[in-house]
Amino acid sequence: MIFIWMAIMSVFIMELFFYTWCRVQSVKVGYDISLATARQKELLKLQKNLTIELAHLKSPQRLTEMAQSRFHLVVPSPEQIVKIP
Amino acid sequence: MRAKQKKNSAAFRIAVIGGVFGFFMAVIAVRAVYIQAFCNEILSEKAANQYKKLMISRGKRGTIFDRNYKEMAITVDVASIAAYPGQMEGMPQIAKALAKELQINRKELSQKLSSGKTFVWVKRQTTPKETTNIKDLQFSGIDFISEDGRFYPSKTLAAQVLGFSGIDGHGLEGVEFFYDRYLQGEKGEFKIVRDALGRGLNDRKSPEVENGGKNLILTLDSNIQYIAERTLQEAVDSYLGESGTAIVMVPKTGAVLAMAHYPFVNPNAFRSYNRETWRNRAVADSFEPGSTMKIFTAAAAIESGECTPSSVFFAENGEYRIGKHVIHDVHPHGWLTLAEIVKYSSNIGAAKVSQMIGPETLHKTLSGFGFGEKTQIDCPGEVMGNVPPFQRWAKIDSAVIAFGQGISVSAIQLISAVSAIANDGILMKPYMVQGITDKNGRILVGFAPKKVRRAISKETASTLKTIMAAVIEKGGTGAGAALDGYSVSGKTGTAQKADKKGGYAKGRYLSSFVGFAPVENTEIAVLVIIDEPKKAYYGGTVAGPAFKKIAQETLSYLNIPPAGNPDQITVQLKHEATG
Repeated sequence: MIFIWMAIMSVFIMELFFYTWCRVQSVKVGYDISLATARQKELLKLQKNLTIELAHLKSPQRLTEMAQSRFHLVVPSPEQIVKIP
Repeated sequence: MRAKQKKNSAAFRIAVIGGVFGFFMAVIAVRAVYIQAFCNEILSEKAANQYKKLMISRGKRGTIFDRNYKEMAITVDVASIAAYPGQMEGMPQIAKALAKELQINRKELSQKLSSGKTFVWVKRQTTPKETTNIKDLQFSGIDFISEDGRFYPSKTLAAQVLGFSGIDGHGLEGVEFFYDRYLQGEKGEFKIVRDALGRGLNDRKSPEVENGGKNLILTLDSNIQYIAERTLQEAVDSYLGESGTAIVMVPKTGAVLAMAHYPFVNPNAFRSYNRETWRNRAVADSFEPGSTMKIFTAAAAIESGECTPSSVFFAENGEYRIGKHVIHDVHPHGWLTLAEIVKYSSNIGAAKVSQMIGPETLHKTLSGFGFGEKTQIDCPGEVMGNVPPFQRWAKIDSAVIAFGQGISVSAIQLISAVSAIANDGILMKPYMVQGITDKNGRILVGFAPKKVRRAISKETASTLKTIMAAVIEKGGTGAGAALDGYSVSGKTGTAQKADKKGGYAKGRYLSSFVGFAPVENTEIAVLVIIDEPKKAYYGGTVAGPAFKKIAQETLSYLNIPPAGNPDQITVQLKHEATG
């Protein structure tokens, strides 16, 4: 009889531990999700900043100035355009 | 006996204590059952309110791209600085430091902080530098709240076309205003769960990301826009003009490739500019077009069948009286053909053409080209211009309208009408946005080119192209607009500006040039308008060279081969080219 009661109690205690473990895991995953979401927001912000930086680097004004001053490029006149058959 | 009595007494006491405990246990049990069974919802909500918060937020405003998917307006996170006056220690010192760092009025800030409110905005949408500086000061009662801010990476580029949006995320001008309902994010609710230490729990994507607004794809090309703006700036500055407008359009579709205005405005700091400069003047302002109107007088004459390009008119040697009014030509001419009237820009010739065809025919042609009605371009504040009904035209009106006085048009109307000639007589609706996409870039709405009507026949359009090409030839008023390697058709315009008394102001002109290239298979139409140039004022002198530069560089950029070299365009080093 004692063994039966001990077995039943053990099952209940095990169930209690399992339930507690599940709850702890659930909360932990919740924190992980929050951290990952915050990280994602940070990365999205960084991406936006990089997009702005790229837009600045590729701005026609900057490229024209560089092309003219650093590489001495000019718009070709029609005589300079070579027709390749 | 005594022992038995003692035993009974103990049993009684135990029973009483048991009864008392039993009673209290029963009360607790009943209360527990009541709380669990009947009050669970209210109490759960009360508990949840302590760690859950319901937020209502609007999704991020959509991005505006140019036709090459280059960002022209984007939404970024910016910090706004707020204060909780009740928590501030040493308010006067804090107000002084904040006002200095944020460059705001100290007195106004002090008044706001002393107003008795628990929360006040110190400055909305600060720069990253300002935020860092204030954070470093570590003031108590100061909070940094993240908000959406609109940022225009290309700064002044196409500023009047894009417009700008206000602090609360509503479009206030330009495309931002016109397409506000698409660009704006939707409102959405989301829950924030925070534990006792303030850590987030189960944070999901907020509606800022999920409910973001739609994106716009413009027809503008930022490179062509830059070419137009830079050239316009040079032209206005070199002729000491007040302002300028330039438009580049694809005649076959009506797509606007560039719409430039000078002086420039930086929409990132639009409040520091004069309100007058915010407006998209190419759409929202009308002006007397001057001689560019002679193209349409010639169109009316040819389309009516009463004239051919070789029909001759006597130009009265430079002076022609109609009633009490006298019309002058810049250079006196004798007999001129219709083609020469356009080429030499003879006012008297144009007046005589108008007298020959009559006001009704001229009015019908002008209306056919879209003058006097809105083009329906997708920009706010478009004006209709003014073409009075022909029944009200006096004899002098009929004459002066033929050379662009007594009527008003907008820049977008003028270039659309000239584009119709380049497009074999078909008038297209000008448009600025070619598509709307969702946050993942999927096209939701596409705007295809839209034909308005046939303004003139294909044959008349072809004849006009030839007449307009002569304007650019030697001796024509637009010789300075001739392109190297490309054929051009165009027309100069020099209009005297009206004064406040209703007459024409002395020395105040509007110089313009409108044309298209290549003539045979037209790719672009370009309009340049310079307002009140001081050094010179003829359209061919002031606006013609600007037209040339914009058209030449745009055709080169678009890889349109010059006549005779259809296969390749290359760029090479200057020293190689010259050496």
